[in-house]
Amino acid sequence: MSDPDARRDGLAASPGGRQDAVPSDVDLGRVWLGVAAQVWRRQPSWLERAAGRLLRSPGLARALVTTPSLLIGWITATLVVLVAGILATLGTGTPFVALLAPAVAAAGIAYAYGPGIDPAWELSGSMAVSDRMVLLVRALAVFGLNAALGLAASAASGAAAAVTFGWLVPMTAVCALALAAATLARSANVGVAAGLAGWAITVLAAQAANGRFTAAVTDSALVVPYLAFAAGCGAIVAYATRIPRGTS
Amino acid sequence: MNVEISDLTRRFGRTQAVAGVTLATGPGVFGLLGPNGAGKTSLLRMLATVIPPSSGRLRLLGRDPGVYGPRREIRRRLGYLPQNLGYYPGFTVVEFVEYFALLKDMPAGRVPGAVATAVERVGLGDKARAKLRTLSGGMLRRVGIAQAIVNQPELLLLDEPTAGLDPEQRVAFRALLRELGQHATVIVSTHLVEDVGAACSQVALMDQGMLVFHGTPGELTARAEGTAAAGDAPLERGYSAVLAAARSTAAARS
Repeated sequence: MSDPDARRDGLAASPGGRQDAVPSDVDLGRVWLGVAAQVWRRQPSWLERAAGRLLRSPGLARALVTTPSLLIGWITATLVVLVAGILATLGTGTPFVALLAPAVAAAGIAYAYGPGIDPAWELSGSMAVSDRMVLLVRALAVFGLNAALGLAASAASGAAAAVTFGWLVPMTAVCALALAAATLARSANVGVAAGLAGWAITVLAAQAANGRFTAAVTDSALVVPYLAFAAGCGAIVAYATRIPRGTS
Repeated sequence: MNVEISDLTRRFGRTQAVAGVTLATGPGVFGLLGPNGAGKTSLLRMLATVIPPSSGRLRLLGRDPGVYGPRREIRRRLGYLPQNLGYYPGFTVVEFVEYFALLKDMPAGRVPGAVATAVERVGLGDKARAKLRTLSGGMLRRVGIAQAIVNQPELLLLDEPTAGLDPEQRVAFRALLRELGQHATVIVSTHLVEDVGAACSQVALMDQGMLVFHGTPGELTARAEGTAAAGDAPLERGYSAVLAAARSTAAARS
């Protein structure tokens, strides 16, 4: 609670302590604010500028570059999950990792940014840029980074490649699809729906690529697991993006 | 009128936090008084579009916040300081204010100047590049005020804004409130009666989710006349008198 005029007085004082060195028609308070704006301004990185243009929102771009996916804790957690996934795949020879990992990752995002976890959740809920859009951007950043790390690991290990191409890359694509849909439709709900549909298509496409498409869609034993998985994803997304009716 | 509320209610499970509030106000500083649990914060959260009403009619800045497009437009013109300001400890003061300026959809070119103005207005110019984790509670409160006013809001909602401020800062803050109230509707929720007396042109008093008084600070003071209401200052005695009358009426009804 201060007046920039106080700064103006500081600026107006000449080295000799005289106050009359500045013409009276110069608003030094305004001058100081201009100086402060330039000195304090944070130059956006090329990544943030590009994201701002792509997303048509500087706010979303800032959310993207400040996401914890770019922090050391998340990178460490990503590596741990990746290694655990590789070991589980090698040890069991089953595709549990491909089925469970997206849900685990999505839950992680939900709990990392949800109410009670994100310190500024309440404030974010009153912003013009929807917090659901911010969540989608962050999810894309997390999966994008994970996919990049997985691709790097794939060069050294076939199991890493299986995990990476089995779910990391598809999930990145799904998040990108959701974000693109949300950006175009200006609705995070549309994006979430597109993402879920994209994931379902991805799973079925993978089955088709393995020559098991017919079994995947006709085997009645798989219906319940599919429904359970879809319900789980839906619940996670609903929790992660939940905002009371009528507020977003 | 920037805020038009009609028979607004909000329930959390079986608890009715806000019970049929009707209110309309234009530019100026509006004080919202009441004891803890009176429903002030719930009402403010509805006005901030953070939670929707359970029932009733709400129009903000001439728009319906229940519809996506108008709600986004309202949020662009809104400033909100929650009771518990969450913050990212690793952000600097400027980064925090700038982040929320961008999320308010301010044009990117206007943001640096607006951030500098807001940070200076709350007297944090010398802490502009300090990490939030290094600031005192009072300074963090001022950071919260800076993010709330950075977009020059037409509707400014402040929940316990003077909590943690020292007396000198509170005096300066009241002056800032009066200045902001010349052009915007400023709603200040507080249980500090002296804040209302010093800065507000209108005051409402809530108790048990209901609005039990709406008028000027002078009218609230006058309610104490002829009563033995407790309080150290005239406005406090008016506050106590209105609360006591409201509670005896409620008790008589039940």
